[in-house]
Amino acid sequence: MNTVIEFTNVVKRYTPEAKPALRDVSFSVVEGEFVVLVGSSGCGKSTILKIIAGLEEASGGVVKKPAKVAMDFQSGALFPWLSVFENVALGLRQEKKTESEIRSIVERELRLTGMLAFHDKYPSDLSGGQRQRVGIARALAVDPAVLLLDEPFSALDPKTTAELHDDILKIWHETKKTIVMVSHLIEEAVSLADRVVLMREGVVDSEYPIALPYPRRESPDFHRDVMKIRKEFFR
Amino acid sequence: MHGTIGKMKHTKPGHHVHHFVISYPVTMRERVYTLIVGPLLVCLVVYLLVRLFPTVSGTQTVTLPVIIEALVATLLRIGVAYVFAAIIAVPLALLVEVNRTVESFLLPVFDVFESIPNLAVLPILLVFFMQFSFLDGAAVTILFLNMVWTIVFALVGGLKVIPQDVTFAARIFGLHGFSYIRRLILPGIFPQFVTGSILAVASAWNIIIVAEAIHAYIPNGIPSQDLFGIGTLLVSASAQGDRTGYAIVFFAMVATIALFNFFVWQKLLNYAQHFRFD
Repeated sequence: MNTVIEFTNVVKRYTPEAKPALRDVSFSVVEGEFVVLVGSSGCGKSTILKIIAGLEEASGGVVKKPAKVAMDFQSGALFPWLSVFENVALGLRQEKKTESEIRSIVERELRLTGMLAFHDKYPSDLSGGQRQRVGIARALAVDPAVLLLDEPFSALDPKTTAELHDDILKIWHETKKTIVMVSHLIEEAVSLADRVVLMREGVVDSEYPIALPYPRRESPDFHRDVMKIRKEFFR
Repeated sequence: MHGTIGKMKHTKPGHHVHHFVISYPVTMRERVYTLIVGPLLVCLVVYLLVRLFPTVSGTQTVTLPVIIEALVATLLRIGVAYVFAAIIAVPLALLVEVNRTVESFLLPVFDVFESIPNLAVLPILLVFFMQFSFLDGAAVTILFLNMVWTIVFALVGGLKVIPQDVTFAARIFGLHGFSYIRRLILPGIFPQFVTGSILAVASAWNIIIVAEAIHAYIPNGIPSQDLFGIGTLLVSASAQGDRTGYAIVFFAMVATIALFNFFVWQKLLNYAQHFRFD
């Protein structure tokens, strides 16, 4: 398997005098893997996503990442004045795709995320879960090498979160995309990821491969893995 | 009559970065209320005042065609000044978006310019424009100065409410430079552009008398040097004891503002809701 993301001794300081957000981070992600970064607030997990997305530069160390990544945000980060169709087409229009290519790709991604019927709606017409689906469709539309998810489910109710967990797993299996997600919920991480990376105070504390079959929450070993990571989390 | 300002706060001490929340009438009933009831109340107050000081007999200074002509002249002055203010305000506000260093330098400069009383520069503006026998230039300039900072600070406030996630998404999906401004920033600040415009035009109506009845600011000025417009009509009708004429001109001005509010600003406020971030 190809390594698509590799951090080697990465340091990130937002200002020279500030405490580093990342102190010495080394980890890698291979093609097609679903990695979830967990950790308490301020541990640096979102900073890692921003560096992978190209929104921030590392202050030190070596970062290997693909040129084309896309990201979905907690809020969905949709443009309120654009329809669902146009939001998903945002990156494609910047890539100067033809109108027929745009239509075909947008329809494909909206169908995949179950949002095709809402193509002419606006973000204000949508629920939180629907906005997340549109955000994911927008990210998939540009065919990124890596899909980044920054706490995409943290503002949603449990039922919608469970539905979106199923959807993201379906999308992952269908598209074979590499996914790096940030979450503060260990249960969520264990139910989705190939591997859980536990962050603590700007470093990678420990990593946990998860080998359970899907759906995992029904698995008798699910709580065992959750408890194992939780124990480390609260250490 | 120009909407209700629900909130107006400063993000930093001394920096007038306004976050405007203007509540707008949603239903037709509410819109008609703002068109009729508010203006009628204002007119009633003026009518009662005029009753206290009745017209001096024999004075009749205004007629309907004169009022219409004056309204057109005044609206043209405000319109030209507004267009200039809007054209200048947008790039000035966008400069703040360049980076934090530019912002920290520009915002205090904008604050100083906004703090300068506009009327303090009117005499020197008149001296300047008298050289070209173009006193309308002074009126438009003073209206412009009165409007431009209101729009600038509204837009700067608008830039601050664009969520960081959305700006990140824009960058990730390839919006840079002009496309970033055209596809994200300009639509993103449109609600604040509308609210800033409403406040700016309201402030222009506030100083229209000063902008038109300018002879008091001209060295050895005489009333014939005043610019023809609704502000001058108000001053001259009052000065000549034509209280009824004053009331009619005032009512015409209020009706114009109310109609403009109903047909333009309310529609724009409604449209701007599509551009608001939750």
